Amino acid sequence: MHIVVLAKVVPDYEVPSADFELVGNRAHPRYARMIGLYDENAVELGVQLKEKHAAGLTIVSYGLHEDVQFLRKAIAMGADKIVLVEGTSDDPYVIAANLKEAIDKQGEVDLVLAGRQSSDMDRGVVPGLLAGMLDYPFVPQACSVESVADGWKVAQITETGKRLMKLSGKGVLSITSVPENVPRIPAVKAIFAAKKKPVEKLPEIGARPMGVSEISVSIPKIESVCELIPAEDMDEAARTLFRRLKEERYL
Amino acid sequence: MERVPYWNISFGLLIDLLSIPAMAIFVYGLYRHWKRIKQGRSRIRLGIPVSALKIGPLYVRSFLANGIVGTRIYKKLFTGIAHGCLLWGMIILTIGTTLVFLNVLFGLPVFKGDFNRWFMGATLDAAGVAALVGVLFLLMRRVFPPERLTIFKSNSAFITIEVVIAVIIVTGFLVEGVRIAQTGPDPGSFVGNALALLLVNVALPEIHRYLWWIHGLIAISLIAYIPYSPLVHLVLAPINAGLDTPVPGPKMGVIDFEAFEGEGEEVPSLGLSRLADFQWKNLLDASTCLQCGRCHEVCPAAQTGKSLSPKGVMVTLSEYLEQGKMEDDSVLEAISTDAIYSCTTCAACMEACPVSVNQPNAILGMRQHLLMERSEIPDIMGQAHRSLEARHHPFIGTGFGPNDWRKGLEVPIFEKGKTEYLLWIGCSVAYEERTQKITRAMVHILKTAGVSFGILEENRCTGDPAKQMGNEFLFTEIAGQNIEEFNELGVSSVITMCPHCFNSFTRHYPLLGAKFAVIPHAVFIRDLIDKGAIRLSKGTETICYHDPCYLGRHNKVLSEPRQIVDAVGQLVEMPRSGNESFCCGGGGGNYWTEEEGTRINQTRALEALDTEADTIATACPFCMLMLTDGLKKHTEEQKVKDIAELVSSRMEV
Ligand code: SF4
Ligand code: SF4
Repeated sequence: MHIVVLAKVVPDYEVPSADFELVGNRAHPRYARMIGLYDENAVELGVQLKEKHAAGLTIVSYGLHEDVQFLRKAIAMGADKIVLVEGTSDDPYVIAANLKEAIDKQGEVDLVLAGRQSSDMDRGVVPGLLAGMLDYPFVPQACSVESVADGWKVAQITETGKRLMKLSGKGVLSITSVPENVPRIPAVKAIFAAKKKPVEKLPEIGARPMGVSEISVSIPKIESVCELIPAEDMDEAARTLFRRLKEERYL
Repeated sequence: MERVPYWNISFGLLIDLLSIPAMAIFVYGLYRHWKRIKQGRSRIRLGIPVSALKIGPLYVRSFLANGIVGTRIYKKLFTGIAHGCLLWGMIILTIGTTLVFLNVLFGLPVFKGDFNRWFMGATLDAAGVAALVGVLFLLMRRVFPPERLTIFKSNSAFITIEVVIAVIIVTGFLVEGVRIAQTGPDPGSFVGNALALLLVNVALPEIHRYLWWIHGLIAISLIAYIPYSPLVHLVLAPINAGLDTPVPGPKMGVIDFEAFEGEGEEVPSLGLSRLADFQWKNLLDASTCLQCGRCHEVCPAAQTGKSLSPKGVMVTLSEYLEQGKMEDDSVLEAISTDAIYSCTTCAACMEACPVSVNQPNAILGMRQHLLMERSEIPDIMGQAHRSLEARHHPFIGTGFGPNDWRKGLEVPIFEKGKTEYLLWIGCSVAYEERTQKITRAMVHILKTAGVSFGILEENRCTGDPAKQMGNEFLFTEIAGQNIEEFNELGVSSVITMCPHCFNSFTRHYPLLGAKFAVIPHAVFIRDLIDKGAIRLSKGTETICYHDPCYLGRHNKVLSEPRQIVDAVGQLVEMPRSGNESFCCGGGGGNYWTEEEGTRINQTRALEALDTEADTIATACPFCMLMLTDGLKKHTEEQKVKDIAELVSSRMEV
């Protein structure tokens, strides 16, 4: 069994809005870089599957040469190797095409996991596009997966609950975060071992981009309007607040 | 008439001869302890350099103060006095017995003149009375024990020992009384003479003979039994105290990870999971523990319903050790992950322990194993840890960037060769709205005093939270980066506002190659006041001062913050203060935790509130945040201030 996890290195996704700054329409380079939030959940799930089924686990990423140092965390968590396609495009089609090319080079692949959306662009389209290109079924918002005969049993988080599905053969799943896939803190021995694990670098292939171009990027202005609730005690304050929230249709 | 040793006793020397096998059994017992303890190995730790008077591995001051005089025992006054009476009484009685022995062997003239009257008579009788009173008090306390003695384990062997000691003392007095009744009064022996008056009609030589042998044989047996009983603390406690580096706090040292980078070098199991991984000092601690529970009584975790008890930890370790379970890694489960992570590393247990046990060292060692080997960490702490790893600060979900604290404020950047002091920001005074005020106040003070200072362009944590959470590896990585940057900038003096940074810089950074002086802001501000660089207007407001564990107990900076408080207002003390201060609950990474049971910060905040002081002062940003939060349960008033804020608001320009 061979599992591929897609991981993208992004600027710190928790930079407070008041501190957020753009340079060339992108996050300022002063922000720390790290593997995307949901991608880490996907890596954790991949590692759990690897441990359960003695599977091979490859991390495939599209990005910069400098990203390798951050991707090594995925190896320390338990992956076997990193495949990095070196490229700078933001276009989901280009990214998906490059990822497909890299996955094709990995031989037999049984399952592709990805974060439900990247933590910088938050679009969540690459896994779906990739599934189309690979001609695999695609299940978004998955939270757990189990190997069953001829395929996978996948639990998907819906707005109202959980849906269990059977996936025949191979597939691409985009993973959402649940307590069961909170990324582990790599053991120190694994961090040491990760330094010696292989990194395969692939050149970017030319791919057709979407017919969309960026006109401008701006940071939304956050305005906070503070209103004090007049009340004698906490009980009354809570009741008034509750009433107001309902009136304003927040609840 | 001069006293005749072994009066009425045939073959009395037999007792002296019997002391030889007794001593052999005694020495063999100690050897068994030594064999057990030395199984602990310490492969990866560096020592903490301290300059203190030493004889071999023994620190003379710790040995004398905590080992011989036993100063900490007296912190519980009645128990202390009882223990002192018993210990010193028995020591004096042993000296007396030895003198009798020397008199028999070499004719040492101890039964003559004033020496006989005042030492062999009055002093020995007084020692016997003191020892008897002491042992009876301790026996009663065992029969009606406080909770600390029974929780986790009650060391019932003490009852037997105390009864035996009481029997030895009483039979000793009876032997003396019967003898005096037969031979006439002894000068100075006030107890013996009084007893003789009472026993005059029953003072048969046979009774004397039986009592004499009973007394002697029990005494000899007790000596042989010492190493096989809790009485072994008589020997182990002074050694344990003497081996205790006179630096306060858990003394964790650092792990040299570079040693594992080499070709073919295998990383050993990190942290402590089986007794075989423990340092031998940890095992000596476990063997020395009296199970008195003083540590349990002061532990903020134990006292607020967490599963941790420092006594419980020592009890578990000593049971594993006694059973020879050196390779059994179930010891961590026996203590429990929850308990191991509940420790706030406040070191109150160490301060309270009468036999110098270092409980947090063992607890943190186990935590290191849980995190670095098993990746086990409570959820919220884990999130903070991941943030520290990725963003160099653990303040998850903060609404602030690293430079937000200085918005609208001119703060100089440290310049190589020009700036004298680096004002270290770190994380705790930068990422929370409340603590940012401390930093701004400190900048105000330094500017007003005309101090040459600057900050780093890029703000970073010291890595101390990683170390406290058990990730020594992450700590050494962050510390390494900081040291490199300091060296490049030529930083030689650093001012800290957070005691955790201060502790890390002074305790752990030097072991990683740092060479700079560090001054906590409490000391720096006090010096500015003393030099007249800032002038303060003293007010009438009452201020109670909460000692941060890492400034007070860990680093003994106790008087300076008080002098500052005294300079701006009227100092009020909480019942638990100074070395005995109660933790705010935030240490050991527990700032990022969901507490079970009563919340430590609420307990401490109430204690502060109960002083009815106008303001609660502290000198640590974590204490500030914890107490501010804890106070919310009791009042809506914002009463907590850092000493820098107090000074800044009372400066006369
Ligand atoms: S260091 Fe503090 S919290 Fe930890 S065991 Fe000791 S007293 Fe308890
Ligand atoms: S560690 Fe010290 S204070 Fe705690 S029970 Fe043992 S002897 Fe008493």
